[in-house]
Amino acid sequence: MDIFPTNDFTLLAVILSFPLIGAFVNGVFGKRLGKEAVTLMALSAIGVPFLASVATFSKLLDIRAVQHAAGAGSADHVEQGARLYWHAWDWLDLAWTGGETTLSVAFSVDGLSGIMALVVTGVGFLIHVYSTSYMADDPGYHRFFSYLNLFIFSMLVLILGDSLPVLFVGWEGVGLCSYLLIGFWFQDDANAAAGKKAFLVNRIGDFGLLVAMALLLRYTGSLSWEGIEANSGNLPNQILKVWQMPEVLAFSFLPDWLLLNEPTIATLIGLCLFLGCAGKSAQLPLYVWLPDAMAGPTPVSALIHAATMVTAGVYLVCRLSFLFVLSPATMFTIAMTGALTAVFAATIAFVQNDIKKVLAYSTVSQLGYMFLGVGVGAFTAGFFHVLTHAFFKACLFLGAGSVIHTMHSRIHDTDSSQDGRNMGGLRAYMPVTCVTFFVSCLAIAGVFPLSGFFSKDAILIGALTNTVSSSGGVHDAFVWPEWAGSVLFGMGLIGAVMTAFYMARLYIMIFEGDFKGWSIVAGWKEPEGHDHHDDHGDGDEPIDGPAPHESPNAMTAPLLVLAALAAVSGLLSAHDLGTHWLDHWLDPVFANALGNVVTDAEAGSMVPYIASAATFAGLGGAYFVYVMRGGDPARELAEKVPALHELIYDKWRIDELYDELFVATLETLAEVSIFLDKWVVDGIIARASAGVVAGAGSVLRLFQVGRVQAYAAAMVIGSVAFAGFFLLPHARVQLNGDLSNGQYELVASPGLGYQYSWDLDGDGEFAEDDFADKNTANIRLNTGKTVEVGLKVRNAFGLIRTVTIPLTRPDPSADETETAGVQGRATGQLADIEGRQR
Amino acid sequence: MIDLFIALSPLLTVGFGGLLLMLAEALGKPANNTGMSPDGAVVVDAGAGRSEELGLLATVILFSGAASSMGVWLADPATLGVELVSPWLQVDRYSLFFSFILCISGGLCTLLGGGYLEEHKIDRGEFFTLVVFSTVGAIALGFAGDLLTVFVALETMSLGVYCMIGLRRSSPRAGEAALKYFLLGSFAAAIMMFGAALLYAATGHTDLAGIGAFVGGLGGEASGETAMVIVGMLLMLIGMAFKISAVPFHMWAPDAYEGAPTPTTSFMAAAVKTAAFAVLLRILLIAFGDPRLMSWGAGWPPVMACLSVLSMTIANVIAGRQSSVKRMLAYSSISHAGYLLMGVCAAMRLPEEASASVMFYLAGYCISTIGAFGALILCGSRGKEAVSYADLAGIGRRHPAAAAAFALFVISLAGMPPTAGFFGKLYVFRATIDAELYSLAIIGLLNSIVGAYYYMKVLVFMYMREPIPGAPIAIPMRSSMVVSALIIAAALVVAIGVLPGALLEMAAVAAAALS
Repeated sequence: MDIFPTNDFTLLAVILSFPLIGAFVNGVFGKRLGKEAVTLMALSAIGVPFLASVATFSKLLDIRAVQHAAGAGSADHVEQGARLYWHAWDWLDLAWTGGETTLSVAFSVDGLSGIMALVVTGVGFLIHVYSTSYMADDPGYHRFFSYLNLFIFSMLVLILGDSLPVLFVGWEGVGLCSYLLIGFWFQDDANAAAGKKAFLVNRIGDFGLLVAMALLLRYTGSLSWEGIEANSGNLPNQILKVWQMPEVLAFSFLPDWLLLNEPTIATLIGLCLFLGCAGKSAQLPLYVWLPDAMAGPTPVSALIHAATMVTAGVYLVCRLSFLFVLSPATMFTIAMTGALTAVFAATIAFVQNDIKKVLAYSTVSQLGYMFLGVGVGAFTAGFFHVLTHAFFKACLFLGAGSVIHTMHSRIHDTDSSQDGRNMGGLRAYMPVTCVTFFVSCLAIAGVFPLSGFFSKDAILIGALTNTVSSSGGVHDAFVWPEWAGSVLFGMGLIGAVMTAFYMARLYIMIFEGDFKGWSIVAGWKEPEGHDHHDDHGDGDEPIDGPAPHESPNAMTAPLLVLAALAAVSGLLSAHDLGTHWLDHWLDPVFANALGNVVTDAEAGSMVPYIASAATFAGLGGAYFVYVMRGGDPARELAEKVPALHELIYDKWRIDELYDELFVATLETLAEVSIFLDKWVVDGIIARASAGVVAGAGSVLRLFQVGRVQAYAAAMVIGSVAFAGFFLLPHARVQLNGDLSNGQYELVASPGLGYQYSWDLDGDGEFAEDDFADKNTANIRLNTGKTVEVGLKVRNAFGLIRTVTIPLTRPDPSADETETAGVQGRATGQLADIEGRQR
Repeated sequence: MIDLFIALSPLLTVGFGGLLLMLAEALGKPANNTGMSPDGAVVVDAGAGRSEELGLLATVILFSGAASSMGVWLADPATLGVELVSPWLQVDRYSLFFSFILCISGGLCTLLGGGYLEEHKIDRGEFFTLVVFSTVGAIALGFAGDLLTVFVALETMSLGVYCMIGLRRSSPRAGEAALKYFLLGSFAAAIMMFGAALLYAATGHTDLAGIGAFVGGLGGEASGETAMVIVGMLLMLIGMAFKISAVPFHMWAPDAYEGAPTPTTSFMAAAVKTAAFAVLLRILLIAFGDPRLMSWGAGWPPVMACLSVLSMTIANVIAGRQSSVKRMLAYSSISHAGYLLMGVCAAMRLPEEASASVMFYLAGYCISTIGAFGALILCGSRGKEAVSYADLAGIGRRHPAAAAAFALFVISLAGMPPTAGFFGKLYVFRATIDAELYSLAIIGLLNSIVGAYYYMKVLVFMYMREPIPGAPIAIPMRSSMVVSALIIAAALVVAIGVLPGALLEMAAVAAAALS
C-alpha cells in the first residue's frame, strides 16, 4: 500500500509541522527548557523536514523515472512532470468569481519546489548547526531558535503553497521573521531601525503582490497555480486603459512600454508581481533594506538574507513563468532591472570595508544576475544560480561569521570586528575557514569548474541569445529592441569582472598579508573621513585579547559541507561538460513558458571563454592591485577622485536620496495632514460630528427614562407607523426600456390586494373602475415623443393612489453624443422611478 | 416510531435533561456554608451553594443536546419519519442548525453561570433548570412550523427568562428589569397572538405552509381576507420585532440586560435573539413568502429595512455614549439585530443565500457575544465588578489572559478578521449587495464604522489606560468554569474565522431546507 499517495501527500504536513512545533516549543517553553533541550528541539525541527524533503524528492525522482521509461519508445514524448499534492482544508468560498469554487489551503511539490525545499531545509540545517555554536553565549538563545524555526516554517509555506494566497502567507511570514531577526539585538537602536526599514520597504513590494492577486482573481477567477495557468491564456488580449492620452502629449518618440498607456492585463499583473519580487529580492530601486539587514546575527544573514528568503522573488518568477512570458514588456523590465542591479550593487561592493557589507552588496548583485536570467527567459539558468548561490553565499557568510566570531573575542566591538581593515593574515590562524572561503570566492567569481562558472555562464548565454516575443496577443505591441541581447550581455560581463575583483579584494583583505588586529583598541571607531586605509594603528595601544583562532567544529563542519557543495553543484547543469540533468528535470515546469522564448543557439558558443576571461581579468586585477602593489593603486585612485570615491563609499547616497525624496515628502505631507487633522478634521469634522452624534445620543437617551409606560408608548408609535405603511397604497414603478425600438415596459411593484389601472396615452383619463391584477404595462414610443403615463393603484383597504410617470424617448438625430450616452445607460438597465403624485 | 424519537432527540434530550436537573437540585443536599443571602437571611433552597455541580450538569445536558442535533443532522432528518409531527414541529436541517447553536449558547451560559452565581453569592439552583427549559423553548421555536407551536415555544422560552432576570431577589434593579420585560413581553405576545388569530380567521390555517398557500391563492381584488392577512402579518411582525429587540421595540432591552445577572444577559442576547430570528425567517419566507408580500414596494421588506436602519443607527449612536460596558454590550446586541435584519431583507430576492448568511452571522454573533459577556464576568469579582470602562483600565497589563479574551470577542463583534464576526458581516453584506439593496448595505457599512468606535474603546481602556490612583479597579475572579467557557468560545470564534467554509456550507444546506 502506498502510504503517501500522489494526491494526498501528507508527508508535506510533516515537513511543515516540525518547524512550527519547534518555533512554538522554543518560543513558549524555551526559557525553562534549558540550552540542551532548545538545541535538540531546534535541530530536530529542521532535521526531520530535511529528511522528509529528501524522501519527497526521491519520490519525485521515482515518478519521473517511471514516466521516462513509459515514454522511452516514442520520439515526441513530452514529460508530464511530477507533482505531489496535499489539501489541508478549504479556506474561502470563491464561487462568486466565476472561476474556482473554493480557495483551499493546499500544498504541492514539483520539480521546482522540491529542489527549493531541499535547499531550504538542507542549508537551513547546516546553519542551525552552525548557530548552536555561534549563538552559544547569547542570552536570547531560545528566542533566536524560535524565530529561526518559524522562519523555516514560513519559507516552506512560501515554497510549497499551491496558490498565491498561501504563498503570500509564507511571504509575509518570512518578512516578519526577517524583521524579528534583523532586530534580534534590539537593544541597539540601529538594529531596530534596520529591521523596521526592511519591513517598510517590503510593504511597497507586498502592495504590488496584493494588487496582482486582486487582478488575477478578477481576470482569471483563480489563484491556484493550476487555475491561473489554465485561465491565463486570454490575459494578453485584454487591456486596461489607465488614462486617456491627449494627441499632443502622446510622446511618440518614447517606446510604448515606457508610457504604459493601455498595458495589457498580462503586463499589469506581471509588473505588479515583479514589484513584489523586487521588494523581497532587493532589486533596484527597493534594494536598500538588504545591506542594512546585516545588522542581524551572521547566521541569519547567511540563511535569510543570502541563501533562501531573498531568492523568493526569483522563485515566484519561475513559479509563474507561464504568466510572465505573456508580457514581453514585463520580461524586459525584469531583465533590465536585474542587469542594472547586478552592476550597480557591484560598484558599491568595490569600496566597502565592512566584510558583511561587501557580502551584502554582492548578494544584491547576484540576485540581479538571477533576475537577468529569468528575465530573458533562461528560467533554468536563473534558478540554477539560485541553487549555486545558496551554497557559496551561505558559505561566504558563515565564513565571515567565523572570522567575526574570532575577531569579536579580541575586540569586543561589533563594528570594528567586522571591519576588514582590522584583519589580514588570518589564513595562518583559521585554516579551515580560509580554505572554504577561498573555494567559495572562486565559485562566486566563476572560475572553471566550480559551480558559479556554470550558472553564471548559462545566464550570460541566455542574455546574449534569448528574446521574449509576444504570444500573438493583439494589444501588446512591445517588441524587444535589437540591442537588448548585446547590452544585457555586456552589463552581465561587466558585473562578472567586478564580482571577481571585489571578491578577490575581500579574500585578500581578510586572509592575506599581516594581521592588523594586534593594535586595535576596544571600541575603536573609524576616524573622520573615509579614505584612511593606512596607519590608523599608529597611536593605538596593542591590546591583550586572545590571538585569532579557528572556530569550533560545529562551525567549521557546515563550512566544509557548503564549500564542497559550492564546488561541485555546478555539475548538475554543466553544459560545457555535457551534463543537462537540471534542464531535463525542470523542463516540465517551464514547458509552457518556453514557447514564447526565442533562442539564437549559434550566438552563445563563445560565451564560456569570454566569461572566463572576464573572471580572470577581475581576479588578476585584484591580485595586482592588492597583493603586488599592496593596495596603492586603489588609494591613489581614491585620492585622485575623492568625490567619486566617497560617493560610492556612501553607496551612491541612495539612502539619502530616498530620505530627501520620499521621507521628506512624506514628512511634509504628514505635517500638512497634522495641520488638517488638527484644525479641519478634529476641529470641524470630528467635533461637529461627534457633537451631533453625542447630541443625538443624549436626546435619544432622554427617551430611555426607565418608565415602562414610555417604552410601551414607543412600541405603540412604531406599530402605528408600520400600520400606516401597510394601510396606505404605494405606487412604485420600475421602467425597463429598450431605446433602440422604443419599447418600454412599466412594472408597478406588486402588493397583496393591490389592483392597477393604467392610462397609457397620457390623456389623464382612466376608464371607470378599470382595476385589474395586471401590474405591468407595455408602451411603444416614437422618437422624440413624450408621454405621461398615468397609474392608479388601489390597495386591499380600498385606498387609491394616482401617479404619473413621464416618459421620453430621446431623438437620436437631435444630438448624437447625448443620445449615445443615454442609450448606453438605459439599454438593458433598470431605472427605478418613484411615481409622482398627480 | 423510534425514528421519530431520534429525530426529536435534541428537544427530548434537553427537555428530559431539564427534568433530571430539577430532581437533582431538589433531592440534593444544600451546601451549608453558602446558604445565606447577602443580607444575612437564611435561604431555604435545596440548590444553594451547589452552582458548580448543577452548572456542570446543565452544561452536559445542553452540550449533549448539541451533539444529538449534530447526530440527527448527519442522519438526515428527512428519512426519520418526521411527517408525523409536521407541521407542528418541522424537523429539518434548518431547525437542527438552530438547535445546535442554541444548545451551544445555552451550555456556554450555564458554564458562565456556574462561576458567576457562586462568586456573587446568588447561587440558587433554579437558574440552571430555567436556562435548560428556556433552551427547550428556544429549540422548539426553531422547530415550530405552526402558529400554535410558535406561541407555546415563545412563551416557554420567555417565562424562564423573566425568572432568570429577577434571580437576584434582593436587588430592586433586578426586580424592576424583570417586571419591565415581563410587562412589555406580555404586551408583545398579546399583539402577536392577536395577529395569529386574525391569520387563522382569514385563512383557516394555523400552519405556516397552509397560510402561505392560502395567501398565494388570493386574488387581487380587495376583500376581507386580504385585509386581515395584512393586518395579521403586521401584528406578527411587531411581536417578533419585540423579541429580536429591534428599534423602536427595543427599549426594554438595555434595562433588562443591565439589571439581569450577566449569564442571563448573555443568554438573552444570544439564545433568545437567535431563536427569534429562526422563527422570523421561517414565518417570513414560508407564511409570507408570496411575491406580493415580499415586494419592495408594499410588502414586509421595506418595514424590515426600516427596522434594520433604525436598529443599527440608533443603537450604535447610543452605545457610543454609554459609560457602562454591560449597557454598551446591550446596545451592541441591538445593533447586531439591525445587521441581521439587513440579511432578512435580502432574503426577499435571494432567500437561500441571505438566509444562509443570517444563520452564519447568528452562529458567530452568539459565541462572540457570550464570550464578551463572559470576559466581562471574568474581569470582575464580588465587590470589584467590572462595570464601567474606567474599571477596565490597565487590565491588559495586570491580567493579560482575561484582557486578551475580551479583546478577541470585542474584535469579533466589531467584525474584524480573523474572527467569526468578520465573516458573518462579510456574508451578510454580500447577500445585501447581491440582492441589490445598495443603500442598505452602505448604511450598514457606515454603522460598522461607528460601532468600531465603542468596541475599540474597550481595547483602549484595557491596554492604553492606567487606572486613576485611588479609583476602584476591577479584580478578575477565579473560576475554572468561566475560563473553560471562554476557552471554548475563543476556540470557536477563531476556528470559524480561519475556516469559515465548513460552517457556511452547513448554513447553505440548512437554508435550502427552509424553502
